[in-house]
Amino acid sequence: MSKGENRKSLVARFATRDTGVAIGLYVLSLSAAIFVSALLVAATGGSATAVFDALLDGSLRSQGAWGLTLTTSAPLLLVAVGTIVATRAGLVNIGQEGQLLIGTCVAAYFAVRVGGPGWFVIAVALLAGAAGGGAWAGIAAGLRAWRNVPEVLTTLLLTFVAFPLMTFGLRQSWLLKDRDTERMNQLNSGERLPANANLPDLMIFGNSIDSGFFVAIGLAFVLTVMVGRTVLGSRIDMLGFNPRAAQRFGVSAGPLSAAVLIGSGATAGVAGAVLLTGGAASDRLVFGFSGNFGWDGLLVALLARNRVMLAIPMAFVFAMLRTGSSFLAATGVDRKMTDVVQALLVLALLLPPALLFIRDRRRSLAPSNLAVSSAPIAVEVS
Amino acid sequence: MVNLNEQPAVAVRGLTKRYGEVVACSQIDLDLKRGEIHGVLGENGAGKSTLMKVLIGLVQPDEGTIDVDGERCRIDSPSRAGLLGIGMVHQHFSLVDELRVWENVVLGERERLDAKHARGLVASIGERYGLTVDPDARVGDLTAGLRQRVEIIKCLRRDPSIVIFDEPTSVLTPQESEQLFEVLRVAVEREGKAVALVSHKLDEIRQATDMVTILRRGAVVDHGPTNRFDQQALAQAMVGREVSLRGDQAAALGLTGAVLAAAGAAKSRPASASPIVLSVDGAVLDRHGHRVLDGVDIKLRAGEIVGIAGVEGNGQVELADVLSSLVALDAGTVSVDGGVVVTGHAGEMAVAGIGMIPEDRHDAGCVLNMSVAENLALGSIGAGRAFRRMDRVAMRDAALRLIDRYEIRCSGPDAPFESLSGGNQQRVVLARELSAQPKVLVASQPTRGLDVGAIEFMGEQLRAAAHDGVGVLLISSELEEILHLADRILVMHSGRIVGAMNRSEADVETIGLMMGGVAVDQMTGQMGQHV
Repeated sequence: MSKGENRKSLVARFATRDTGVAIGLYVLSLSAAIFVSALLVAATGGSATAVFDALLDGSLRSQGAWGLTLTTSAPLLLVAVGTIVATRAGLVNIGQEGQLLIGTCVAAYFAVRVGGPGWFVIAVALLAGAAGGGAWAGIAAGLRAWRNVPEVLTTLLLTFVAFPLMTFGLRQSWLLKDRDTERMNQLNSGERLPANANLPDLMIFGNSIDSGFFVAIGLAFVLTVMVGRTVLGSRIDMLGFNPRAAQRFGVSAGPLSAAVLIGSGATAGVAGAVLLTGGAASDRLVFGFSGNFGWDGLLVALLARNRVMLAIPMAFVFAMLRTGSSFLAATGVDRKMTDVVQALLVLALLLPPALLFIRDRRRSLAPSNLAVSSAPIAVEVS
Repeated sequence: MVNLNEQPAVAVRGLTKRYGEVVACSQIDLDLKRGEIHGVLGENGAGKSTLMKVLIGLVQPDEGTIDVDGERCRIDSPSRAGLLGIGMVHQHFSLVDELRVWENVVLGERERLDAKHARGLVASIGERYGLTVDPDARVGDLTAGLRQRVEIIKCLRRDPSIVIFDEPTSVLTPQESEQLFEVLRVAVEREGKAVALVSHKLDEIRQATDMVTILRRGAVVDHGPTNRFDQQALAQAMVGREVSLRGDQAAALGLTGAVLAAAGAAKSRPASASPIVLSVDGAVLDRHGHRVLDGVDIKLRAGEIVGIAGVEGNGQVELADVLSSLVALDAGTVSVDGGVVVTGHAGEMAVAGIGMIPEDRHDAGCVLNMSVAENLALGSIGAGRAFRRMDRVAMRDAALRLIDRYEIRCSGPDAPFESLSGGNQQRVVLARELSAQPKVLVASQPTRGLDVGAIEFMGEQLRAAAHDGVGVLLISSELEEILHLADRILVMHSGRIVGAMNRSEADVETIGLMMGGVAVDQMTGQMGQHV
């Protein structure tokens, strides 16, 4: 009985005219994106249906494909959830790629040295990843706290410091270079992780799902609870929406934003450690290891529009594009095509909220805003 | 009296403007004649601004006609209005602080920049209208009165034949207002211009205008020669009911004289016995190289209302910021109930017992994107351990009680704060601050932008708070409001308290001079005995 009522009120909440407009816009812009993608494929000499078939085969339909897609979504989701919390606190962290990379480096350094049982090595790797990514974001957090340097600049620029730093590390055997002198071609590559230090897989219907996925999902749930159900979450929102009101009511911007920024760097670092110990990337540190997982995770966060739970499906979609593109070669279409499709999809998903935002802004600038904008908000109070 | 012909410079007929279901202007007729100052009187939201925006081309009417000098015309943009000879001096200055006066005056012109010509222009307009101002002064260094002169010169340089002044006195001292009215008189009598003076202050309309049109709820309720109306009649037409020109209403209508009479009759409470709840000692604050607070001393006792009068921009905002924990003092201390409170530390002032009704509630007074319930609970969200559950049920219950008690009109505790009207948003702020049981309540320009009913409510609440033993610090640039509510009056100028007096000894002339920073040194000598 009460459940039925709940459902009704939920429907009532979503059945406003605004939601209709929003859904319509999403359908429209997504179909436009798919249409343009098909045109591009046709223009480059491929067949659009074959391409979409290949994408679906690679990401879902072929043997073990969706397990790999879930595995691939884990690092994306890990990067995204940290970014979302940072964005809610009013921070613009766009240096996830670098934070992920440094996290991976620190994780790799300890994973090949610490020794011990597999679970211990993995735990150390994940913690080291968090510490590395957190420390890298911590530089930006510190500069912001002490000298008010905008974190949007520092996080981005630090990414371009992270790359050469890793290259340097890969050339020093006391840092990250493979210490196995027997191996050929050890230039620019790190040491292979001990065999027991791979994240265990869960087998379901012939799909092996990396346990990194469950780490990511677990963190997503923890952060959802933190954001929605704890005082800390409300403080983060308060800080993001109105830092001066936050200051007045006892939420000091300095320590909290530093903590949140470091935290988001840490989740990016964990994403790197999951990549290293999991099945979505190689089991040794190589040049270019991060493979744009940081950037893509940032896009996932952007599309999830500050809601942690929405990041789960978004991360899955992006993982599908990654795993799907591996089957694309068979159709004779360049793999780069998936980058174009991905970009078009991102634009298609960003356009409706942008349009709605512009419309709302226009309305609120009109002097009659009070009378008009209060109307759709008149939800029944039960 | 030049060119006082019968044909009006501007004739508005049947003008109607709707925003959705709200009718901002309904069938308005208005005649502005050359050689006349025409007052447009009305409360906030009566449709004055919309009407003027139509005349200046910012808003297009839904119905009605506008004739300028007998010619039917469509004013579809401000530049069109400019071509028709209509100019407007806006309530809020649109000047660039970093630039000099002459640079500001020619800013936005298409012709070649000619400094010599521009300086001459400033001087010649200044001479014609009695608006002297140094063309080479940096605008940021000027007082509000002088800045408004620059704004007026900027408007007059295109030699408009019809000039609209939108609430021009809100940033001026009484003396500066007097000077402004003299300029208006020159403009109509010597230059034969048509002037519209938009205001909600009865004193001003009576003093400065020849004709008056009174608006209420978007419609003209009365019009005629100003001398046909006495204050009582004007007030009644504007508010729409019999008003006694005492109390809050008089203050809201800007009736200094009536308020003073009322104040004289009222006896101030003997507050000298109650303990000091707020003490600001030697507060110094520098911002961007300017000393914005320069040794401020304030003592506030439990149960009294102390008003801080002063023209805006003399340190009031910074004082409120300090008492909101938003900035740290460079020197000096703030004590609440005898205990020193660290300045600039998040939440310390609120925890120590200072409630704040901020000047701009959207600045630090609320979180627009959160719900009404959350906004009512900001204090408890900010205090205590971070890792604890948000008790949303309790928060909602508390919100329901406050919504009920303070008659906040909203669709419920979960309504987004931004969906509330200005008056109800202010009630949310008031409800939150008072329910925290503060020792001190700071109200900074608390009635700005509110209508008469909301102003009345705010006044009652401040009085009730004082009655309950809260020390109330009322920071306001509306002298009437302070004269009406405060037991003691402090005057602030250039970041200093330059005068103090009991309400019963208050004298508008003296306060006005002190607000303007005139002869402060002599004054403080006289005022010393009251401090």
